[in-house]
Amino acid sequence: MELKVGVIGCGNIFNLAHKKALRGIEGIKVVACMDIDAARAKEGAKELGAKAFTGLDEFLDLDLDVVEILTPTYTHAELAIAALKAGKHVVVEKPIALTVEEGERMIKTAEKKDLHLFVGHVRRFDKRWIQMKEVIKKRNILPMHIRKAEVQNLPFPKGYWYWDEKRSGGVAVDLGVHVTDFLRWFFESEPVSVYAVGKAIKEEARANGTFDHFMMMIKFEGEKTGIAEVSWAYPYPSRYGVFYHHVDIIGKNGRIRYTPLDTPVVGVAKANFEMPRFSPLLSTFPDAFERELRHFFNCIRGREEPMVTAEDALIALKIAEKAKESARKGEVVEV
Amino acid sequence: MRKLNFGVISYAHPHALRFASVIAGGKRTKLVAISGDGSNSDVARAEARKYGAKFYRDYEALLRDKNVEAVYIAIETYRHKEVAVRAAEEGKHILLEKPIALNLRDADEVIKAAKKAGVKLMLPFNPRFTEPLRKAKEMIDAGEIGALEYIQTISENVKPPIFLQGLDMDWFLDVRKSGGGGFMDTAPHGVDSLLWLTGDVPRKVYADIGSKIYGFPVDDIGTAVLEFRKGVLAVLTAGWGNPKGYSYGIEIKYYLVGREGFLDVRTAYPDFTVYQDRAEKIYWDRPDVRGIVNSFTDTVLGNREVPITGEDAKKNLAVILAAYEASRRNISIKLKF
Repeated sequence: MELKVGVIGCGNIFNLAHKKALRGIEGIKVVACMDIDAARAKEGAKELGAKAFTGLDEFLDLDLDVVEILTPTYTHAELAIAALKAGKHVVVEKPIALTVEEGERMIKTAEKKDLHLFVGHVRRFDKRWIQMKEVIKKRNILPMHIRKAEVQNLPFPKGYWYWDEKRSGGVAVDLGVHVTDFLRWFFESEPVSVYAVGKAIKEEARANGTFDHFMMMIKFEGEKTGIAEVSWAYPYPSRYGVFYHHVDIIGKNGRIRYTPLDTPVVGVAKANFEMPRFSPLLSTFPDAFERELRHFFNCIRGREEPMVTAEDALIALKIAEKAKESARKGEVVEV
Repeated sequence: MRKLNFGVISYAHPHALRFASVIAGGKRTKLVAISGDGSNSDVARAEARKYGAKFYRDYEALLRDKNVEAVYIAIETYRHKEVAVRAAEEGKHILLEKPIALNLRDADEVIKAAKKAGVKLMLPFNPRFTEPLRKAKEMIDAGEIGALEYIQTISENVKPPIFLQGLDMDWFLDVRKSGGGGFMDTAPHGVDSLLWLTGDVPRKVYADIGSKIYGFPVDDIGTAVLEFRKGVLAVLTAGWGNPKGYSYGIEIKYYLVGREGFLDVRTAYPDFTVYQDRAEKIYWDRPDVRGIVNSFTDTVLGNREVPITGEDAKKNLAVILAAYEASRRNISIKLKF
């Protein structure tokens, strides 16, 4: 059975990652692309051989098995719930939603309609982290302390939705859920409390009254310490890479470290030292998106069991939300 | 050239090995006496023989030695106050291992005694005597990376029994003697760097410190979040978390984020790597101990200001103790200086 897929949102993440991934996956057919921007919808549809739409009702009236939602975070809940109510399975980009309350409603709706709801926590499909997790298991590293930093050079002007906390959740949520999910995935235990501090360093953040540098210290069950640092504020030029990961894992039986220098790029020294991009999105390998989407489609077809669920995504968001509360109050907050 | 005559009190702390060697080999310093108080008195005796220094069974006898002008005190932390106060009373200048004492009251007594006796008191925090960190400080002060915003730093050492072969390090695992485990042992270095780099003090601290790795009766790793008065945010991880196979023995690093630039101090000590059964970093220069001894000697002989005072060390201890309290109670602690 070929799955008929419709895409909502033909912007950044669609163009940088999903478009190519969708093309490479067998057994599915993208039949419709929707965007409120008609030109973008048309462009996306053309590239995937689908029909373009700008209206949601018309789009949801189509005979679709799966709707993929790749829109700004604040629209996730409304769109996902509408698609679920129209009887479609849903794959939505991370974060699951802007708020935990919205995420809970999405999950409830999916349960009521007996449909799948998947959230694109793509780190779980990245070979680096999968391999690292396997080494931890095989060699019985028993992680007790994990620090993960994700630093992104956000190439958008201050009016763009990413900088508006009411639309993106800010860096604490947008990048934060990647790291909170990573920590929980690696520790295999549940969060207990969080202490967080945020800073507004760049003009874009200060103008929007939001943080662009955010650190969370999360206690996990079993006395484990998670340190999440997410930032849009590092002042280096993008030629050094628009994204970097830094992982330091200290366990009872060893230590694992991954630094920006371990990123598989070819450094080029000309007048300047440059790091060529190995993918349009330096945060993730292109094949991770393909692996992720193939897995979700296979789950929908009943061929695989979910590796990451909407509940996982909800907990990742909940930690980030509590962290924001902690940063506001200046106190430790129970999760 | 006039030389400063040193006595080393105790080899309980393994740093005594390096300090003794630097003092004995210094152009302006002479190692004249060693006392064997506390742990490793046999090592102290052997070292005295090696350097041709007079050996005393206990520090009181060493302090009566008129030939001794200054002492480096490496005795177990819980005896810092007792020994430092006596050294001051005997008119000896003091280079005291960190942490200054077990608590702030004792720290005050040490500071007061030195002041009363008119002797110099200095604490050895190594990283600020290393080239990379000096360079970073210079660049920050010159405004090369703009206003400092964020610092992530690691002061991580290996599991204590393999610090150095042949030394009895049990007291590091006894909280009554050491005041704490891995965090107490290594975090003061990171805290000193932070105080020095920012030229500021934290107003708030949160931490998670525990016995997480080896099952010791004391903590072996901890991380503290420090919010400084003028706005710098710092995250410090310190302890004994490096496994035996980790190529760095002691690892001191800093990521310094300013508004206009980013400094990556990968290691405070310059190294090269040897690959055999495992990769091992060899530090080809450890200028820190020499820097400390030189700086202390300058202070005494030239009657100059001490670069790291008892007050600095007391502030440092206040931050460390607040971090322990924050961790114990799982709350953030406000600091007043």
